[in-house]
Amino acid sequence: MTFSVRLFIFLFGLILFSTVFELVRRRKFREELSLCWLFIGLSLILSSFADRLIDPLAFKLGINYPPALAFIIIFLLFVIVMLYFSISVSDLKSENKELSQKIALMEYKLTRLQKEKEDIAPKGVDYE
Amino acid sequence: MPLKDGGMLKPCLIVIPAYNEEEHIADVLMEVMGINLPADILVVNDGSADRTSAISKQAGVMVLDLPFNIGYGGAIQTGFRFATEFGYELVVTLDGDGQHSPSSVNSLLETMEREKADVVIGSRFIEGSYRMGVFRKTGVWLFSRIAFFYTGTKFSDPTSGFQLFNRKVFSYLSEGDNYPLDYPDVNIIIAIHKMRFKMVEAPVKMKEKQGKSMHQGLRPVIYVIRMFLSIIVVLLRKEKKQP
Repeated sequence: MTFSVRLFIFLFGLILFSTVFELVRRRKFREELSLCWLFIGLSLILSSFADRLIDPLAFKLGINYPPALAFIIIFLLFVIVMLYFSISVSDLKSENKELSQKIALMEYKLTRLQKEKEDIAPKGVDYE
Repeated sequence: MPLKDGGMLKPCLIVIPAYNEEEHIADVLMEVMGINLPADILVVNDGSADRTSAISKQAGVMVLDLPFNIGYGGAIQTGFRFATEFGYELVVTLDGDGQHSPSSVNSLLETMEREKADVVIGSRFIEGSYRMGVFRKTGVWLFSRIAFFYTGTKFSDPTSGFQLFNRKVFSYLSEGDNYPLDYPDVNIIIAIHKMRFKMVEAPVKMKEKQGKSMHQGLRPVIYVIRMFLSIIVVLLRKEKKQP
């Protein structure tokens, strides 16, 4: 890989890693969800130094332009992250449904109980 | 448990899911109350932004207000949960847009009694005619064939939301992900058959839909693909044994 490509990957990885880390530090990003992104950032930083590994591997796989292999690896990592987040969204949707159904049922019961209480309490009597 | 202004529970619950139906809900409720069924009426307001809930409450029926829109299936399942919790024996599902004619509820009840069925699906095609677009017609035919292939029973209207369930079935469907969030269709027929519940069809009257349909643009294509995926998943999924 040429120096400029390695520098680009390194800087991108560094910015991604530090941004995610800062968001976690400020409690704007949950630790368990940030792990994927931190892993990608770290992988990008390390891959910029791994030309001794990537270049021969790329040629072995029949890829004449080694940065292409680096981008394929990055792309695959993003696919994994997207899958992870899709599963998270799906779980959240199920939990959301459960919660909303429970809220609706509890709200109904609460309203009925309040109404029954009002009906039982004799008018004009102060219980305070 | 007393529920309706000091009154006691009736054995049957009519569940009406409604999302932004302020134009139709009053008429639907009036029609349902007009047929004097021995049933309680529950409107599940699926996060409507209009006066659906207020109008329903004014009509004197029970109303469950979902905090936000969770979809047609999710609203129906909320009704199943309510019915399970409050000890109802039967649940009828009826759309809040006025498409289903409440006078046909009797046909569903009679069929369940006669056939000793667990589920009765209201079909608009057994008696009379119903006009619909070519794509929907093809979809109904296709899903009907799939249902027949799997269950061995002919379901002329597998997409119908006008259905009657007994307690065994609706209490099962009220649990977790046993009922789909969006549109229950032939996937539910297959799931119910897999649980060895008896399902039959009964003739019902349905009014032809006015205005915008959900089956427009690319949606029908996506819907069919999703339904196929859902069918495959239902077939492969291990269901919990019924009690």
